[in-house]
Amino acid sequence: MTAGEKRRAVVTGIGVVAPTGVGVEAYWKATAEGVTALGPITREGCGHFPMRVAGEVRGFDPQAMVEDTFLVQTDRFSHFAMAAAQMALADARLGRGDLTDPFSVGVVTAAGSGGGEFGQRELQKLWANGPKHVGPYQSIAWFYAASTGQISIRGGFKGPCGVVASDEAGGLDALAHGDREVRRGTDTLVVGAAEAPLAPYSMACQLGYAELSRESEPDRAYRPFTPSACGFVPAEGGAVLLLEEAGTARARGADLRATVAGHAATFTGASQWEKSREGLAHAIEGALAQAGCRPGDVDVVFADALGTPEADRAEALALADALGPHARRVPVTAPKTGTGRAYCGSAVLDAAAAVLAMEHGLVPPTPNVFDVCHDLDLVAGRARPAELRTALVLSRGLMGSNSALVLRHGATGSDE
Amino acid sequence: MTEQTTLKVTVRELAALMKQTAGVAVDPAELERGVDSGFDAFGLDSLGLLGIVGELEKRYGLALPEDAEKCKSPADFLKMVNGSLAAGV
Repeated sequence: MTAGEKRRAVVTGIGVVAPTGVGVEAYWKATAEGVTALGPITREGCGHFPMRVAGEVRGFDPQAMVEDTFLVQTDRFSHFAMAAAQMALADARLGRGDLTDPFSVGVVTAAGSGGGEFGQRELQKLWANGPKHVGPYQSIAWFYAASTGQISIRGGFKGPCGVVASDEAGGLDALAHGDREVRRGTDTLVVGAAEAPLAPYSMACQLGYAELSRESEPDRAYRPFTPSACGFVPAEGGAVLLLEEAGTARARGADLRATVAGHAATFTGASQWEKSREGLAHAIEGALAQAGCRPGDVDVVFADALGTPEADRAEALALADALGPHARRVPVTAPKTGTGRAYCGSAVLDAAAAVLAMEHGLVPPTPNVFDVCHDLDLVAGRARPAELRTALVLSRGLMGSNSALVLRHGATGSDE
Repeated sequence: MTEQTTLKVTVRELAALMKQTAGVAVDPAELERGVDSGFDAFGLDSLGLLGIVGELEKRYGLALPEDAEKCKSPADFLKMVNGSLAAGV
């Protein structure tokens, strides 16, 4: 890198733990084929809740992915995050030998749910048997910050670490935070989010969300942008991206897969979906401005796709406000209708899907969505081949956060 | 007073507790050899030791000294634990 060149973050590795697949290959294959993993909630103690359908991660063996010393002190959401982080490092071919300076590697995760399953187990011991029966790891396992801490301890990463607690959109905000850390001087950032909200206590916490789908038929439970939109389906899982400073990545011969080009976030209040139109439009405009992109440069949109009529309308209108006539032409997709919404984890899964879509020149479809009732070119049915240089990823949270992230294929930055 | 010997926590038991409560797998013979080295040499941190303290307190129905989890080595810890047990609670 020359002295005058700006530092910027590029994606060099992806790790995924999703209901549709563990590992980036399985996930992309399922995503490109429009496979859906939504099904009845089978986790123990969850049968009596009004939510009937979820995206559960199956085929994930924690003991095969995480050492015992970490397993005993962490919740399922951290198991997912640690496994995804390890897969992202391996995907980037970044081994211990490449990491000569531990202070050059940082970790940022986002979490909206925390370690509810672990916490419930320990609290049940407290009330059943007394305080002495609560293990010491309760002090750290439930905490939103647990995954960042454990990933950094496990890898020996001593660079800047952070946790973003900004609602579901925090998944995108974490990527933006990682990008800022790269610009500020850290060469490598492990960034992502994973959630495990399908346990009794965590499910009870979600009961107040009016936006949760109560539909019991999996193929009908999450159908955003259609007349039968009836809310969203919760999910578990998430993804981790490895961000590296472009010059450093290039020097070690890494594949510079995508550039984190722009991001902006706004806040418009909890469950006030009509207002999210303005907030999301502002976020999109801000992200495009930082990326140095015009609306017409956007080749694909990964929609938030909350799945209630009011929220879907606000998102469609936000796209129209921010992108103008291009909003009706640009392909829009929401692969999360096949996985469910894993809260913060979903936004990072979408970012991962966006990178993979650009690499494969393929817009993945939106499973279970056919009869779109908004002025959008929603990719339904099957994947659509297209040359994709710039992807716009959107995320909104139930508490009112709106975020937009612009990813560009390869190492192309705004100043090139 | 004859119960003193039966109440003694051995290195083997400590190794089993390290595995059970902290997920740290350590060969008892190796723990015996390194009984004077730090717990950190075996990968056990202070929260891990605190978990072992809690388990022993439950098992023997006694309260160990407040700074029990601050013991640096297996030897120090066993001496403290077995001293408390011998003192008869």
